[in-house]
Amino acid sequence: MTNNHNKKSIRKEIYVTAVIFGILFVGMISYFVRFLVVDANSFIYNSYNSRFSVFADDVERGSIYTADGRAIAKTTKDEEGKEVRVYPDERLFSHAVGYVGHGMAGLEAYYSFDLLKSHITLSDQINNSLTGKKSMGDSLYTTLDYDAQKAAYDGLGMFDGAVIAIDPDTGKVIAMVSKPDYNPNTIDKYWDDINDSEKGDSALLNRATNGSYPPGSTFKIVTTLAYLRDGYDPSDFSYKCNGKFDVDDYTIHCSSNKSHGQEDLLQAFSNSCNSAYAAMGVEIDRGKFQSTAEALLFNDTLPTMINGTKASKFSINSDTKESIVAQTAIGQGKTTVSPLHMCMLVSAIANNGQLMEPYIVDRIISDDGEVVSETEPVSYGPLITSREADLLNEYMEAVVTDGTAEKVDFGDLKVYGKTGTAEYTENKKITHSWFVGYAKDENGKKLAIAVIMEGAGYGSKYAAPLAASVFDAYFGK
Amino acid sequence: MVSVITSFSRITILSYIIIFTVIDLIQMFEPKLNEAVSSILTTIQAVMIVLFLCNSAAVVYFAKENPYIILTTIIQLLFLAVIAIILNNLSVPASKALINNVLLMLCFSFIFIERLNFNKSIRQLINGVFALIVATAVIFILRKILEISRYLFIFAAIGIVSLLAISFLGNVEYGARLSFNVLGIRIQPSEIVKLTYLFFIAGCIVTFRDFRGYLFSTIGAGIHVLVLVHSKDLGTALIFLVAYVFLTFIAYKNYILLGLEIGGAIIGGIIAFNTFPHIQTRFIAWLDPLSVVDNQGYQISQSLFAIGTGGWLGSGICNGMPAKIPVVLSDFIFAAVSEEMGAVVAICLIIIYMCSTVMFLNMAFNCSSSFYMLVVSGLAIIFAIQTVLNIGGVIKFIPSTGVTLPFISYGGSSLVSMFTGFFIAECSDDLWVSAKGRRRYD
Repeated sequence: MTNNHNKKSIRKEIYVTAVIFGILFVGMISYFVRFLVVDANSFIYNSYNSRFSVFADDVERGSIYTADGRAIAKTTKDEEGKEVRVYPDERLFSHAVGYVGHGMAGLEAYYSFDLLKSHITLSDQINNSLTGKKSMGDSLYTTLDYDAQKAAYDGLGMFDGAVIAIDPDTGKVIAMVSKPDYNPNTIDKYWDDINDSEKGDSALLNRATNGSYPPGSTFKIVTTLAYLRDGYDPSDFSYKCNGKFDVDDYTIHCSSNKSHGQEDLLQAFSNSCNSAYAAMGVEIDRGKFQSTAEALLFNDTLPTMINGTKASKFSINSDTKESIVAQTAIGQGKTTVSPLHMCMLVSAIANNGQLMEPYIVDRIISDDGEVVSETEPVSYGPLITSREADLLNEYMEAVVTDGTAEKVDFGDLKVYGKTGTAEYTENKKITHSWFVGYAKDENGKKLAIAVIMEGAGYGSKYAAPLAASVFDAYFGK
Repeated sequence: MVSVITSFSRITILSYIIIFTVIDLIQMFEPKLNEAVSSILTTIQAVMIVLFLCNSAAVVYFAKENPYIILTTIIQLLFLAVIAIILNNLSVPASKALINNVLLMLCFSFIFIERLNFNKSIRQLINGVFALIVATAVIFILRKILEISRYLFIFAAIGIVSLLAISFLGNVEYGARLSFNVLGIRIQPSEIVKLTYLFFIAGCIVTFRDFRGYLFSTIGAGIHVLVLVHSKDLGTALIFLVAYVFLTFIAYKNYILLGLEIGGAIIGGIIAFNTFPHIQTRFIAWLDPLSVVDNQGYQISQSLFAIGTGGWLGSGICNGMPAKIPVVLSDFIFAAVSEEMGAVVAICLIIIYMCSTVMFLNMAFNCSSSFYMLVVSGLAIIFAIQTVLNIGGVIKFIPSTGVTLPFISYGGSSLVSMFTGFFIAECSDDLWVSAKGRRRYD
């Protein structure tokens, strides 16, 4: 190596080194920017992030409203001037909205960061910071309808269970109730009691989104779809019901051991004939049954903007005993569903097969009334084909006009539904009462609903009338 | 009142740093500015440094209500002035712009260590003074030694023996052997060995101008790296490896060799990955820290909570919670900067490190002797890769390796080695001339 001469040509590699490190630095900066823009939120919202308490020093937590502008969670001051979180409707929105107190839950938890962010004008912010006043945090406008929520809440009465209602055209959640519930105003005071594991009623669990229930006869919707997808022609179906169906050494009975006689598929569906569906279930190719259930979002995270949902479970394979397959076909067996999932299924049927992803926060508004962010309805795409939807519409209409829900008074509304009575213990007398379906008024406005009342008995007696009162409250104005 | 000062200072501090960074970028892309313009720009930067330190210290003073902070800030300002004066008197500094960058990094160090742990900030100031004395002494010694490159095997011996000693006798910290305690002071020999290592490799290359130079430097580098791997100090091992790869590339100008060496390093990395379970756990913590947030992912998650919550403009000094991050003073101090001063300042800081790397390499480029050209290139590479490993680990760009951030992290050994390297680079031309026995400005 020579000194001093032709440095430029000899030391070109130093330039190359500089360029290589320059690229490394620029790459690192790009990654950093990407992290802040894309990934940072999943870290900020994490419950391990203890920095929320710092925000609350400068910002007063914003309010939460129903779609019609009624405050259902707000911050006020008590006699000593201390901030308190108040829920004016007490238990009515407890599971939909959640609480702040012993930790957080529901919307209060998932939107905590937004509620503690203030989008008021910069000059107001500076003014507040100079005068030591807290800035007002942003508010959430939910999609919930007060009247529908109240009807669902009152309808459940003393029963445990859940009601969820969704607008099939947009995915807006109109009502969401789960019982047992709690009073979010006094959650701190009664925390130990609410969490008493001896009682074992898990009052903090939102059953509408996180419940795991046997679907009972409402599952016949899925079995019907599996039958169609396995290539059978529904018009060829014919079955003579004598009130029971024997498989292996197990007997499946129709409800009240009633014999339905000669039936086509529409009648088997609207009569909710267990024998016909058990016989159909064992005929369906098991791989097809499993793939149909999975296409209908079983064993999967539900496509929804609602946080914290539970996957429904379904499993049939070549090792499954035939008697289990028969029970599975009528919604017993090991299958579990959440009310939200069943409601999404009927909302797709109501919307010509297209599933709109459910959401509950419509927009975030600053204290000045400016829109900070607004949720656009998101389509999941076709959950079922429009042909399948047409067929199920016809069958579900028959349930209400001639079938198990014949005696339920739905007023002038056009209603499509399926009742269910699900056994959940060895004692076949105690059953959950299900109703899933949707209503349509003369303007084409729709509402899909899933109702489960634990231990109430026949779906037609309890769950379907509850759905009728929610429809009435929602369409009545 | 305090919150007003803190909030307002977020904007003023941001302005100082942006002005400083813009000037840095101008100097990086236009190294041959005319004297007058260049001197105006350096003066503006110096003013920004003083404003930055005083403004930030004022916020810490009001937030912590600690009257000593006025005193320590005056001492810190004096210390910065002394560094600049000494460098200007030792020789004509090879890069005035780099001096400003280092002084600004020291300011970040002062502010954040003071904000996190006042007692440690006093110790770091003492460390700084000590590092300044050592660096100045090293320059005087190097001037006296003729043909320093001849002592290459002595440098190799010093390096390997110290690393071996630490590998078998050192204190175990976070699963690696890193340090000795001497008279109650924690010394991390690998930091000092970084310098002897560069002297050894540069010496090999200029002494034997044939294949023996490559052979000896490869064997020597290999031993250093293997001993470090044995100590499980993998971050430092990687730094040594990268320095070797780029130095041989600059010396032998062989792209095929560069490719082979990088390939070899990758294979070595894969073998290490399969051999050491603690590398695997770091990988998991890197890929998805939230999945293991309770144990291996805790530190990086805390770091990302801090950076994310701080956002673009930061929480304001003393308004965040950087103390939640384990080892925030040394390895994760960058997360504290980003949380409290904001991501914009943090990005400016990365740009300042990048410009500093280019300025370092530019000094190497202008060196009169091949030996110092290689030494200064090596210093630049170590400075750059250490910065990338540190910041990259903090922001989850790469798995965390546990190396310090040059000039900002808390720790004496790292400061001594960085200061000495920085002084050697700034005086590199003068060192060669002195060693040749004739004063440059006679």
